[in-house]
Amino acid sequence: MTDTNEAAEARPKARSAVTTREQQWQVYKNIDLMAIPLIVLLFAGIFSFHFALTVGDWDYWVDWRDRRWWPLVTPLSLLVLPAVFGYLLWTKLRLPLAASVALLSFALAAWVSRVMNFEIFAGFPLNMVSPSTFIGLGLILDCTLMLTRSFFVTGLFGAFFFAVLIYPINWPLMAPFRVPVEYNGTLVTVADLMGYEYVRTAIPEYVRIIEQSTLRTFGEAVTPLTAVFAGFLAILMYYFWTWVGALASRAVWIKRIF
Amino acid sequence: MKKYLVAFILLIQAAAIPDLAFAHGERAQQAGLRMRTVHWFDTAVSTTKLNVNDTVVVSGSFVPSVNWPEHMAGPDGTAFLNIGVPGPTFVRVDSRVNGMPMIRSTRFYKGQTYQYSITLKARTPGRYHVHPVLSVKDTGPVIGPGFWVEVGGSQADFQNTVKTMTGETIDLETYGMGNIAFWSLLWFAVGLVWFIYWLTKCPIIIPRYRRVAELGDKADDIITPTDKKVAATLLAVTLSLIGFGYFWAQDEYPITTPLQTGIVHLPEIDVSADREVDVTVADARYRIPGRSFELTLDVNNRSGKDVKLGNLTVANVRFVDPSVIDIKPADSHDLVASGGLRVEGGPIKAGESARIKVFAEDALWETYRLTSLIYDPDSRFGAMLYFYADDGARDYVEVGGSMLPVFM
Ligand SMILES: [Cu+2]
Repeated sequence: MTDTNEAAEARPKARSAVTTREQQWQVYKNIDLMAIPLIVLLFAGIFSFHFALTVGDWDYWVDWRDRRWWPLVTPLSLLVLPAVFGYLLWTKLRLPLAASVALLSFALAAWVSRVMNFEIFAGFPLNMVSPSTFIGLGLILDCTLMLTRSFFVTGLFGAFFFAVLIYPINWPLMAPFRVPVEYNGTLVTVADLMGYEYVRTAIPEYVRIIEQSTLRTFGEAVTPLTAVFAGFLAILMYYFWTWVGALASRAVWIKRIF
Repeated sequence: MKKYLVAFILLIQAAAIPDLAFAHGERAQQAGLRMRTVHWFDTAVSTTKLNVNDTVVVSGSFVPSVNWPEHMAGPDGTAFLNIGVPGPTFVRVDSRVNGMPMIRSTRFYKGQTYQYSITLKARTPGRYHVHPVLSVKDTGPVIGPGFWVEVGGSQADFQNTVKTMTGETIDLETYGMGNIAFWSLLWFAVGLVWFIYWLTKCPIIIPRYRRVAELGDKADDIITPTDKKVAATLLAVTLSLIGFGYFWAQDEYPITTPLQTGIVHLPEIDVSADREVDVTVADARYRIPGRSFELTLDVNNRSGKDVKLGNLTVANVRFVDPSVIDIKPADSHDLVASGGLRVEGGPIKAGESARIKVFAEDALWETYRLTSLIYDPDSRFGAMLYFYADDGARDYVEVGGSMLPVFM
C-alpha cells in the first residue's frame, strides 16, 4: 500500500517540476543525456554490423587493402548510414552530425573489436589488424552540409570527396606496410609478408581479392582512376540513401518517435 | 554507464569475430572426401618440444588423388600449402613445395608427387596439434596428419625482425604502430571537436526539433554564423590534414609497391623410381559387422626387386603389416593401426604379376568415421598402397573405385 501512496505523492511533484522554464530545460538536458549516448551506441552497433557484412576482411587485415577494391567498396559501404541518418538529423533537427558521429562511433567500435577480438582473443599483432581511419571523411560530409545546406551540393562535392580521399587519408597509416621486402627471392610488401607469416589457416592466400579485374592497362594510374570512379558512384549512393532516409522519415512510425 | 559499456562491447563482439576458428576437422568431412582428396605420407615434425623463437619444420610428401571427386574444385585450379595451427601461435617463416617458396598460391596436379616443408617459428607457448593443410579454392581445407608440438617460454620474448629492401630492419610485431596510433588519435580528436561543439549547445534534441518544426521552410534560420564559421574552419583543417598526411607519408616512405599476389608454377620432381608397381582393383568390399575392408588386387611389379604390401593408407589412417614394415604411432593421436593389415598371397616377384587379397581391420574405421562411406552419395574409396622390398626400397600406388558394403 505504501508503494501506491508514494507514487501518488510523486506524481504531482513530477508534474510541478516542469513548470518553470529552467526546470523544463533540465528535462530536455536529461533527454539529451539519455538519447545521445544511445545514438552513439546504436551507430556503433549498426555500423559495425553493416561494415562487417559489406567490407569485412577488406578492412580487417593490413594485406587486404588493395588499390582497386578496398577504395571502391569501403566508401560506398561507409556512406549508407551517414546518408540515411544525415537526412533525418538535418531535416528534423538541423544537426550536421550524422556522418561524423557515425564514423566516430564506428572508429571506437572498430578499435574495441580489433583489440578484443583480433589482438587479445585471436592473438594477432595489433598493427596487422588495426582499423583504417574515416573520421575526416565524415567531417567533409557534415561540414559541406552545414555550409551549403543542400543535399544536392553535399552529394556532388561532399560524397565525391568522401570517396576520393579515402586512400590519401589512410596513406600515412598504410604506407609503412607497402615498403618492399625481398623474401626467398620473391618481391612482397611488409603487409604481404605479415599475412604470410602470421598464420590464418581459414584465410589462405588466394582468398584475398587483390586488384582483380580485367583492365590493368592503366598501370600506375589505378589508384586515382579507382578514386574518381568511386567518387562518382558515391554521389549516386549518397542521393539514393538520402532518398531512403526521406522515405523513412515520412513513415508514420518514425514520426511518432520524433 | 557500465551497462552501456557492456552492451557496446557485446554488440561489437557480435559484429566482428575473426573467422579463424580452425576446428580439428580430422573427422568432420565425409569419409569419401577424406579418402579421395590428398594422400599425405612421410609427414614428420623436426621436434615436438621447443621454446618461443625456436623453429620446427613440418615436412613430408603428398599426392593429390586421381580419384578426386568430380563435383569438387580440384587442386589444379588454385591451391595454397597451408598449416593448421590455432591462429598466429607460430609464424610461418618459410614454406616450400618441390624446393619452390610457397608464399603465393599455386596449382597441384592430380597423381603427381609433391615434397613440402614448412618452417614455423614458435610465438605463443602452449601445446598444439600441428597439421599440414592443403587449402583448395572453392573446396576448402584438406587436412593432413597431425602431430602434437609443445612450446615453452614466454611470448614476451618473441621477436620477428626482417630487413626491408630500403635497408631498414623492422620488428613486424610492432612496426608502424606508432604511426597508426598517432593518426588515428589525431582524427579522433578532430572529430570530437566537431561533436563537442554541438554538444555544448545541449539540450539539442527537443528544443531544436520544435524550433525546426515551427520555422518550417525557414528552418535554416536556426543556424548561427558561428556554426558556419566552425564548419568552414573544420573543413579547411580536415582537407589540409589529409593533404599534409599524404605528402608527409610520401616523403617518409618514398619507396612502396602494391600488394603482391599471383600464382606460382611448380617444378616437377622425378619419382619414377618409386612408382614401379601397378595395381588394378578386382574387388573391394567393406564388411560392416567385422569392420573389415577387403580388397582383391592384381599387382604388376615392374621393379627389379620382390615387393610386399606393407601399408595401406586411407584418409590419413595407416593400416600396417608389422612383418613387412615397422611403423609406430608418433603420439597418442597418430593414426596408425599396427597389425591392422593382413595380406594373402606372398611377395610379388620382380617383373611378375600376381593377385593378392588384402584385409584392413581396425577399430579406427569406426573411430575415424570412415565406415560412414556407405552413407555418402558416391560410395567410392581411394587409398594409397605402399610396397616394400627387402632392402627397404618403397613403391607407392593409388587405388580407388567403387566399394560394396557387406551388411551381414
Ligand atoms: Cu588435430
